[in-house]
Order: sequence, then C-alpha cells, then structure tokens
Amino acid sequence: MLRYLIRRLGQALLVVAGVVVLTFVIMRLVPGDPAVAFTGPKATPEELAAAHRRFGLDDPIPVQLLDYVRDLLSGDWGISLHTKQPVRDDLYLAFPASLELVGTALVIAVVVGIPVGVLAARFKTKFPDIGVRLGSVLAVSIPVFWLALALQLVFASTLDWFPIAGEYDGELDTTSPLTLWTNITIVDALITGNWPIFTSTLHHLVLPALVVAAYPTGVIAQMTRAALIEEGGQDHTRLERALGFGETSILTRFALRPALNPVLSLIALVFAYSLVNGFLVEAIFNWPGLGRYAADSIRSLDTPAIAGVTLLVAVMYVLANLVVDILQGFVDPRTRAR
Amino acid sequence: MRWHKRLLVAGVTGALALTASACAGGQVRGAGGTPEPAASSGGQPAATPAAQANDSTFVYAPNLDVVTDWDPATSYSNELVALQNIYEGLTRYDSQERKAVPRLATEWTSADGGKEWTFKLRQDVTFHSGAKLDAEAAKKAIERTIDKKGGAAYIWDSVKTIEAVDPSTLKFTLKYPTPLDLVASSAYAAYIYDVDAVDKDGKSDAGTGPYTIDSWQKGKETELTLKAYEDYWGGWKPEQYKKVAFRVTPEITTAWQLLQKGEVNFVQRLNPQLFEQAGATPDVQTASSPSFQNLLVLFNTAKGPLKDARIRQALQYAIDYDGLVAALKGSGQKASGLVPEGLLGHVSGMEPKQDLPKAQELLAEAGYGPDNPELKLTLTYAQGDEDQKLLVTLLSSALKGVNVTLQAKPMSWGAQWDLGKKQGQDIFVMYWYPDYPDAYSWFLNVFKSEDEPQFNLSYLKDSGIDAQIDSLPELTATDQLKADQAYQDLQKEIIQEQAAVAVPYVQKYSRALTADVEGYVDNPAYPNVVFFYDLKRKS
Repeated sequence: MLRYLIRRLGQALLVVAGVVVLTFVIMRLVPGDPAVAFTGPKATPEELAAAHRRFGLDDPIPVQLLDYVRDLLSGDWGISLHTKQPVRDDLYLAFPASLELVGTALVIAVVVGIPVGVLAARFKTKFPDIGVRLGSVLAVSIPVFWLALALQLVFASTLDWFPIAGEYDGELDTTSPLTLWTNITIVDALITGNWPIFTSTLHHLVLPALVVAAYPTGVIAQMTRAALIEEGGQDHTRLERALGFGETSILTRFALRPALNPVLSLIALVFAYSLVNGFLVEAIFNWPGLGRYAADSIRSLDTPAIAGVTLLVAVMYVLANLVVDILQGFVDPRTRAR
Repeated sequence: MRWHKRLLVAGVTGALALTASACAGGQVRGAGGTPEPAASSGGQPAATPAAQANDSTFVYAPNLDVVTDWDPATSYSNELVALQNIYEGLTRYDSQERKAVPRLATEWTSADGGKEWTFKLRQDVTFHSGAKLDAEAAKKAIERTIDKKGGAAYIWDSVKTIEAVDPSTLKFTLKYPTPLDLVASSAYAAYIYDVDAVDKDGKSDAGTGPYTIDSWQKGKETELTLKAYEDYWGGWKPEQYKKVAFRVTPEITTAWQLLQKGEVNFVQRLNPQLFEQAGATPDVQTASSPSFQNLLVLFNTAKGPLKDARIRQALQYAIDYDGLVAALKGSGQKASGLVPEGLLGHVSGMEPKQDLPKAQELLAEAGYGPDNPELKLTLTYAQGDEDQKLLVTLLSSALKGVNVTLQAKPMSWGAQWDLGKKQGQDIFVMYWYPDYPDAYSWFLNVFKSEDEPQFNLSYLKDSGIDAQIDSLPELTATDQLKADQAYQDLQKEIIQEQAAVAVPYVQKYSRALTADVEGYVDNPAYPNVVFFYDLKRKS
C-alpha cells in the first residue's frame, strides 16, 4: 500500500509541475505587456519601466520560469494586476465560496445520480430507464448558463420561491454576524450554530447548486447504470441469481460495490469540471467565489491571477484524483497492483 | 472495517482536512452591517411621509469589484464611485455650467497668467478622523499624493510649490500655466485627506465627504457599506439616504431582475434591449446621458498610403456615422468635433456625415478607387469591444465598394498599443477620456508631436499645431472665451485640414434606477459615480 501511495503521489506531483510550466508558458505567450495591464492604459514610459523591473520582465525567460517556480514554492503566487493584492490572498478569499457551491452540487449529484442509475439498471430498457437516460442526456447537454438564467427567471424572479442572487441575506450580517473558522459560510454557520445564516445560505444555495449539479448528476447516473448492467453479466451475478436472490437485491447488495469503482473516479473528474463550469453560474447568481475573480481577471488580462486560478483548479483536480485513487486502493485491492 | 465504513471515515477525514486548510480562525464577518434596501417588495416603494427620516439603504449594483485601492493618493480604478462619496476635492466639476464649482474651497483666483492660484478653504470642515481641515492639512494631502507618484498623481505635474498662507488660504505656484481649478476637480488624485489617517485596509478612511466606511468585505457580494458622516459640513436632511451598500452583480440580467424587485436601487449600465424594457417598466426610471469618452479613429499620417491627406479624408467620408449610431441603439451619440459636450471647447455643428461619392472622388485623385489598383489598409481595434467591431464592419463594407480592403485585427490593449507605438498599422481605433475635465487632454496627449509616440498614434507632427496646443492652458486659466475659440480652431485644423482623425461617436451611459429615487443627475466628469448625498427618497 505504501509503494502504491508513493507512486500515486509522485505522479500527482509530476502533473502539478507540468501545469506550472504550462501556465507560465501561456502567461508569456499572451500578446501584450503584463506591465501595461498593471500600470493602466495611460502609463508613462518610466512607470512601465518600473513595473518591468518589479516583475522581473526584463530577465531571460528561463530565469523568469525559475523565479516563478521558486516563488510558488515559497507561497508567493504573484501580485494580481487588477486587485494589486497577492493572488494567494485573493484565492483564499474566493475559493471557499466556490467549494461550498460545488461541494453541495456534488452531494446532490451523488445522492440523486447513483439511486437513479440503479433504478435505470433495474428496469433496463423499460420506462424508468428511458426516462433516466433522456433526463441525464438533457442534464449533460443543456448549456449551464442557459439553465441558470432559466431557473433564476422562473423560480426566483417570477415565482419568488428562491432569492435571485447572493450567498445569504445581507441584513443577517447586522442581526446575526457570522464567526469565521473555515471561511466556508455554510460550514461556519453550522459549527457555530448560526441558524439564521445557515438556513438563509441553504435557501440561496438551492438554485445555483441545482444548476451546477445538472452535469455531474447526468454523468454519474449514466455511469452507474452502465457499470451495473456490466456487473449483471458477471459470473457472480449468475450465481446469486441461481441462489434465488431477487434482481433488486443482486443490484444493491452485490453488484453496486464493484460498480461504484468507476463512479468514484468519475466524481473526481467532474469535481474539477464543475468548479470551472460553476464560474458562469457564480456570475449569474452573484456567488462570491472564484468565478467572479476569474471573470474580472480575464476581463483585465490579469495573467498572474488567471495563472493562479488555473493552478488552483489543476491542483484541486490532481488532489481529487489522488484521494479517489487512494480510496480505490482501500476499496478494491486489485487497483494497487495496476 | 467494511469498505463503506472506510469510505465514510475517509470522506469525513477529507472534509475535515479541507476545513482545516481553509481555517480562518474565528473572525466576525460584516461587523459593520449590511443593511437591506428600501422595503419595496415587488418594486412597490413603501410610502414615506414628507420629510420623514429616510432609514432605507441606497443599493448600488456595480458589475466589478468595488474597491481595489483604498489610498486616496494612488486610487485609479473602480473605487472612484465609493471614494467620491467619502472624499472631496477643492472643487467639483459642473458639466451643465462647464466649469469648476466650490467644494472644499469656496472661492479661488489666479494670477501671473495662470501660474499662481489662491484657494480660500471652507471653514468648519472636519475629517472623518476628527481632525480639522485647514490649509496645512490640504497642503500635506496634495504633497503626499504628488510624492506617491501613483495613479493619476501626474495631474499635479505643473505644481512648483504649495504654501499654506494662513489656516484658510492655500496658494499654489506653478511651473507653467494650468487651469488648476479644473485639476482640483479631477475624478482621481485630487482628494483632500488627513494624511495621518489613511488606512489601506479599508477599516476607516481619512476623508471629509458625506459618507464614511461602515464595512468592507473584499470579495463578498455586498462588498462595501457606507454610513452618513454625522458631522458633515453640509449637514443632513431627513429625506437623504444615510446608508449606502454596494452589491456586486456581474451579470446585467441579474442586475435587471434585482432592480425590478427593488433589491437594488441603481444599475450603472444596461444593454440596449433591457434599457428599452426599463423605460416601459413601472417603478423603474431610466437616465441616459453622453459621457466624456469618445471613439477616435486615428489615421497614420507618418507612413504608408495614409500619408496622403486625400485618402484620410476619403476614409472620413466613408464612415457611416448615422448607421453606426443607429446600430448602437442608444449606447452612443454622434460626435461633434473632438471635445465632448459639457467641456469647454466643445463645438456644435461639426457632426460628420457619410459621403461615398466624395470619398470615391478623393480616392481617385490619389490614384485609388474602383478603376484603379486595390488599396489595402490595416486597422487595429479593441478585442471584445462590440461597438468598435460594429464600426469596423460598417467601414469595411463601405470601403469594399470603393476598392479598398480593410484588414482589421482585434487586439488586447497591450498588444495593440505596442504595435501602435511602432507605427505598425494604418488605422488605430481607441477611446479617449480626460483625467480631469479639460479638453486639453485630447490635444496634449493625442495630437502633440512626439518623437517616440505614446498616445499620438496618428503620428501627427506639426509645429503650428504644437504651438496652438501649448497656448491652451494659459488661455483656459485666463480667458475662457479665447480658449473656446482656440479649441474650435484646433479641432477644425486637426479634423478637417489635417484629417488625422475621425470621431464617430461619444459613448452614452444607460442607467436605471428605482422610481422612488429623486435627484439623480449623471456627471460625466466622474464616470459611474452617484453622489448619494444629492439623492432623496420620494415621499
């Protein structure tokens, strides 16, 4: 198990190193001078020169890459050109809200996607299966911004069931101030017993989380169905059937466990995807996460900030995969040998 | 342990690890409060009896971060909207009157041909820090801004010395004539503040304005709240807004829905379709006014085919100005000259018109046109700017008919500017706006000769024009009638004689407010700023 862990960790570090080099190259390939973005459109030549010196833009590219890696390792992710603050601090402020949104969406996706996949597999080619397959294709293919706008218009603006935008009611900051521990509002509200903010956040989370959950729910349902159907043809299933177990019992008691292995990998994949997919949803619902920061950064060609967001998403992707690999190692010893 | 139990343990451990990694350690969020706007559910403003205290919050919906720099010396970004309500300058620009009007200074005089300025300061003004405003404090603030050399500090470049003659008299001696009353009304870098109270973390401020910081939560939806400064020199009336909140709303459609619900009171921009809809929506009012920002189509007068003035004039005639403004659907209005309405030097009656036969005639004279060799021109414009793209599309199709091919490249500002500084294109498209409300900005920066071009991207080099430009500041400071005439002559020279530029349109602001707000006036000298103190809630 230790060798397996070390191997997986080594691979993860290699991927992160690759992403670091790639983000640096992309930063330098973007046309235009980053110093111009920092100093503003009406900068004097002296101000531009000072910005060049400050960011080491006159050094040779390999030196700049080495400096970039050294800075990253020492926790310096650069200075954002539009907020003029350290990128790491900016990400620290924005990331928890995104984690809150995507985390909730993934919980919805797992809680809905897996049972729905089981249902489809149980009634293969019958009405529930057709319904689930149609539903999941729709959930996967609907553009996320369209779904966000539609839900907002119908359920918030017209029916008034949910708030149009925001993370929680602003007035609660006065009436029920939240003590921060993790910076993730819903977690902080829960651990400090701040029920007004907890319920308000839940209420505000419903629409954006449902939108972000659409894609992962669709693919998880599809994958669960496919994996269960495949398990249905295995020797052990035939034996269980011969022993007189009912179809539902076979699916849930014997086939689900091995079938969940690919689903687990999929969750890691869709986590990072949903993080980025959620950017548009965050913008539409005023969610104070990475999406707003990324959009502002792209709009102002803020390369250090864009690189920071890219790197963070890549690290989260690698981390999620690593966690799943390790979990699979526990769940299914065969994977350790692969 | 069974596998699902292991999974559960691992999951809980993971969640805890993530939680721990993000641990911020028990800070209280939003201690200053984030009040809600007027209780006008469903867009129905609650009835308020006349002169009853206005306890509702005015909610402004910006589309970007509210504050990126709290230092009044170096601030040069979106925080202008908040800072203009927290800080004040010696003067403020009145675009209706086309002149600077009193703010912290009550009166001023200039002498020595605009090289000496004396400002009398308002009495009984205190900073939010509690300190009293006097000439010494104002001197220190401006000197600190100059020393910091950040943001728009260069607006004070002409200042040689500042002297606090007595507690209420501030005297400036300048290196060269400058209309310092206009400089002092600048949107950036002209704030008077208590130099000992500047807090870059936004916990407190050092201004004299009607509002002071209540809470600032960087990155949050309600990023900033302001509250009334009770000792404000202007005093307070019951119907004025005492609380202001900034609710960051990146999407226009979301802002529009929040406005209809009465959850925000002011949306700084709407697209043409929503703006039209807003005009017909009860409980919503709209405001549209021209800005000080115009689009410049700069022709390369130094090299390439456009060195020939006839071809530049032909291009001016080829632009479909009316078609463009119609296609902009209210987000732009036809320009008349280089100087926008509301500034000294604006000329009316200089609106250009498309004249394709005339363009063809001029091209023929220069050896181009339908029966002559094809003329290829390169043009650069801002990537992602739909309005500029519209201009390029219309111009391109008009030119095709006269055998001119336009190779248009959308570029990021940095890349476009880099190429422009190397004279790498025939036509450079960009917006221009003044840093302080003075038309001089266009002429000094864009049309005065430069050996190494910065913003003179038509590369115009004309000593006669340079001399006229150099005379403008003194004229503005001493004789405004003559200055007005000089600006008119220069615009005719640059646009009509030299044909160095075409000015298709001035951008227009499309604002929307809830109907219960009274007193809103757009002031283009302070882009997107709402002076909350001037507003009241309709009874």
